[in-house]
Amino acid sequence: MAINGIRVSCPPGITILEAAEQNGIKIPKLCYHPDLKPFGACRLCLIEEEKSGRVMASCVTPVAAKMEVLTDSPRVIRHRKNIVRLMMAEHPESCVVCSKGNRCQLRGIAAEMGLGETGLYPIPNYKSIEQANPFIVRDLSKCILCGKCIRADHELVVAGAIDYNLRGFKSRPATLYDLPLEGSNCTFCGTCVSICPTGALSPKTTGYVGTPEKETLTSCGFCGVGCSILMGVADDRAVEINPSGLNGSVNGATLCVRGHFAHDFLNSKERLTQPMIRGESDLKTVSWDEALDRVASRLLAIKKDYGPQSIGFFGSSKCTNEENYLFQKMARVLFGTNNLDNGGSMAGRPALQIIDEKTDGRSRINPLANLEKAEVICVLGADPCQSAPVLSYYLKRAAKRGVPLIGIDPRKTDLFPFSTLWLAISPDKDYELINCLAAMVWKKFAHDSNFIERFTEEFNLYTEALSSFNPERLCLASGLDMKSLAYAADLVKGKKISFVVGHGITQQKHGARSMEAILNLSLMTGSLGCESGGLYVITKENNQVGAWDMGTVPDALPGRIPLGDGSGRGEWERAWDVKISPDQGLNVVRMLEEAEKGNLKALYIMGENPLRSLPQHERVEAALKHLDLLVVQDILDTETTRIADVVLPGAAFSEKGGSFTNMEGRIVCFTQVVPPPRDGKPDWEILDLLGLKMGYPKAYRSLERIRAEMVRLIPMYAGLQETPGDAWTWIRRTETEKTLRFSPLQTTDQGPMDDDYPLTAILGSQRFHLGGGTRTGISKRIKDFGLKGEVSLSSKDGARLHVKSGDTVHIQSREGALIREARIDEDLNEGQIFVPTAFHKNDAMNLVGLSVLGSESSQGLKTCQVRVEKLEGSK
Amino acid sequence: MKPKEIDWNQLSSIIENHKGEQWGLIPLLQEIQETIGYIPPESIEKISNAVNLFPAQVQGVITFYAGFSLTPKGKYVVRICRGTACHVKGSRSILRLTKKELGLEKGETSPDYQFTLETVACLGACFLAPAMMVNRTYYGKLSPPKVSSVLAQFKKQEGQ
Repeated sequence: MAINGIRVSCPPGITILEAAEQNGIKIPKLCYHPDLKPFGACRLCLIEEEKSGRVMASCVTPVAAKMEVLTDSPRVIRHRKNIVRLMMAEHPESCVVCSKGNRCQLRGIAAEMGLGETGLYPIPNYKSIEQANPFIVRDLSKCILCGKCIRADHELVVAGAIDYNLRGFKSRPATLYDLPLEGSNCTFCGTCVSICPTGALSPKTTGYVGTPEKETLTSCGFCGVGCSILMGVADDRAVEINPSGLNGSVNGATLCVRGHFAHDFLNSKERLTQPMIRGESDLKTVSWDEALDRVASRLLAIKKDYGPQSIGFFGSSKCTNEENYLFQKMARVLFGTNNLDNGGSMAGRPALQIIDEKTDGRSRINPLANLEKAEVICVLGADPCQSAPVLSYYLKRAAKRGVPLIGIDPRKTDLFPFSTLWLAISPDKDYELINCLAAMVWKKFAHDSNFIERFTEEFNLYTEALSSFNPERLCLASGLDMKSLAYAADLVKGKKISFVVGHGITQQKHGARSMEAILNLSLMTGSLGCESGGLYVITKENNQVGAWDMGTVPDALPGRIPLGDGSGRGEWERAWDVKISPDQGLNVVRMLEEAEKGNLKALYIMGENPLRSLPQHERVEAALKHLDLLVVQDILDTETTRIADVVLPGAAFSEKGGSFTNMEGRIVCFTQVVPPPRDGKPDWEILDLLGLKMGYPKAYRSLERIRAEMVRLIPMYAGLQETPGDAWTWIRRTETEKTLRFSPLQTTDQGPMDDDYPLTAILGSQRFHLGGGTRTGISKRIKDFGLKGEVSLSSKDGARLHVKSGDTVHIQSREGALIREARIDEDLNEGQIFVPTAFHKNDAMNLVGLSVLGSESSQGLKTCQVRVEKLEGSK
Repeated sequence: MKPKEIDWNQLSSIIENHKGEQWGLIPLLQEIQETIGYIPPESIEKISNAVNLFPAQVQGVITFYAGFSLTPKGKYVVRICRGTACHVKGSRSILRLTKKELGLEKGETSPDYQFTLETVACLGACFLAPAMMVNRTYYGKLSPPKVSSVLAQFKKQEGQ
């Protein structure tokens, strides 16, 4: 075809607009977005067909062979100018105070066309400005009806909070019943705000209004999805977050409420800005030199007096790969200890480890984009709409396209309306359910015999063991009906299954066992190693995977080399020129136990707040206070820094360069956006300086040198070498010939119910908070939203206990208690209550015991038995 | 006086009948509008579940079409044509008179839910100009006395 007389060739099926853009010809447009279906609302992308003289919208007109079009003929220009004039006539003249400023696309296009005065009688469409919620300001008088917000809401986020309302001049995007956003099912993901071409939707900013001076690409600092974001900067402060919209990024044009609005903590007054040392009683600010000298001398003295095993290192699933690498190197090389851990161990690493072991590292790369090709999706013990919202968009989009989605969770989560089938099974029955499902698939001979023959062994043993799982018995015991179970088996039979597994499995008492069952079913159906199936495990923190890969764990060296692997360990010994003990070090729970006994003398914490994130705050506090030395390197004034002996102010992800590894196995690199506040230093720099002080002969002095060492020594991360500072790469695929083995099945024995604690409390997150809520809890806009973190009870339990919504209840478990407001939730099963985490200093964690996840004695961190009483004096 | 009680069972069975139908939304809304007289806002969520759309989308369709209403209407819906032909023939006076007769403004419904007054851009009955409709009956070549007698007819009917 020819555009403006230039001959171009393009594939059939694309639109004229796309063809023009591919050939570098610019056509103005307002309603077009590459991730949305063409809409043809704004009519700005008009072109003229030369032969017929027809004027058409290029964004909705497909190319045809030998077509000849003009994108800027006098006729097109005349029409286009008139359209913009009409839009301007309806637009308020508030550009001077509009926070969209120079980024307003309407203003940009008008300026480009040289339109200042419309010459029309202005008919502004006055609507009240809505800004009651702390996140989004809606000024619909500036709306040009491009429909981008609505389409993003329906096509990308699949929330369905808004659609056009009314018609003609009155037409506007509106929520159901035209309620304010907080009265609708809006999740405040802010995707509409970022996509809005004018100032109709803007973020409610805290302390800064206007166009940021510059925008820098970086990575979100919250959950394991690790979204790619653009951070707007003004006066060396991060003032605005938008999705990067980069092609191939995990999130594209979407984000969630945390990513968009909860980064307020970066500028909070709780930021640590100076090193501090405990004097007689209080922490007093000191110079870096003094603080580091103190840390170095005390740590070396303790090592000398009590040996290497008396020191522990608690790294962070929120710090970068480079920092975690240095951190564990410091522990192993300078102190000769494997007493290393990171927050990921309590967020379900043991279950992840099982996958890695059983598949021999073949399951490390799981691009979420593959969910687009899923045949059937099975969501197990996960509430991604809350814990990893951007992942949930993938699931909802797939379901809308017609991919069957099976939800297996005691609670009907926000995914329920999108599910084909929901099995609301109690938390302790996952294992049996998965095995029953497998037994039913086997009965139908709907397994993948090719895959089983080629890649696996011990299938016979597995099928034999499956015969002891009786679906009828499970139904009797769990209240499920046989029909649903049979339907589930029908949905998965003969298909590759995409499993999405959440903390309902990984933090569960028998999480490891359930994970084995999921893997068995994956092998049986040939769902591994293909794009239409897969195993997606939600990680809570953005660098949970990376911290493990870097060896900030008690049982593995960088590159996930087990300590017990002699040759692997030998390589690291040669690389570092030290002896590394093959014995596992202490994990975080054991460290605390040893601190209680007085065996652990010093603990170095980097970027974790165990006093809030771990169970049993009082016990953790006592254990930490029992230490001779507690060093905390963090960015915020937390419960933990307040009891520390030395506090070192680090830098948040936006204040340093580095890389994070997300739940997909994608290594996302990023560069510094703003400098750290006052005296804060990037964490790798602190570790580097400290290393020098403690006798490590050579300083790295730059991120590149750390990265170069990682590339050289960790084959998994070799891809980092050619990756620019703000791009991403993937974990290197492991070549392995090892056959996959079906895990033996176990009989399940349920302990007797404890009559004193008749209800099961399920702990879980809400999308406004992450983890313990250390960061989200001080983010201004999240605080302003005023969530109370009510405990939900089923209506039957509510009636039995005489508890109504708004009453205050006392919840007692064997381990601890808390007091919260109650809420009746019709969707909960009888006998179960839901306790949101992260509220009130994360007191929900006091209900569960402090135990090593995955160990024999552990009751898990996800559920516990409780007793609920209504408190007198409540309504 | 209250509008007629909604028969929720009837409403549910209408929704049930159209459940899962492709392109079923508009026929479903029409049937509810026809039977109940309007589309109760409380039913939007039920409807959206049945046709697998978002509630906001269903609301968008309802508010787009003049034929659907989210508020109860009177027993008699009086529609005055305000098209060009009727305008030339004096429909402005007809409207003014009707307003006075019914004591209603444009778009209002009487408190006893007997009358709703609406205007229409064109009834397509220009040969009868000025024209109006009461429910489904056309009244053409109107004059002030004729308007009064037509309206009186409905008022009288009601009086019986």
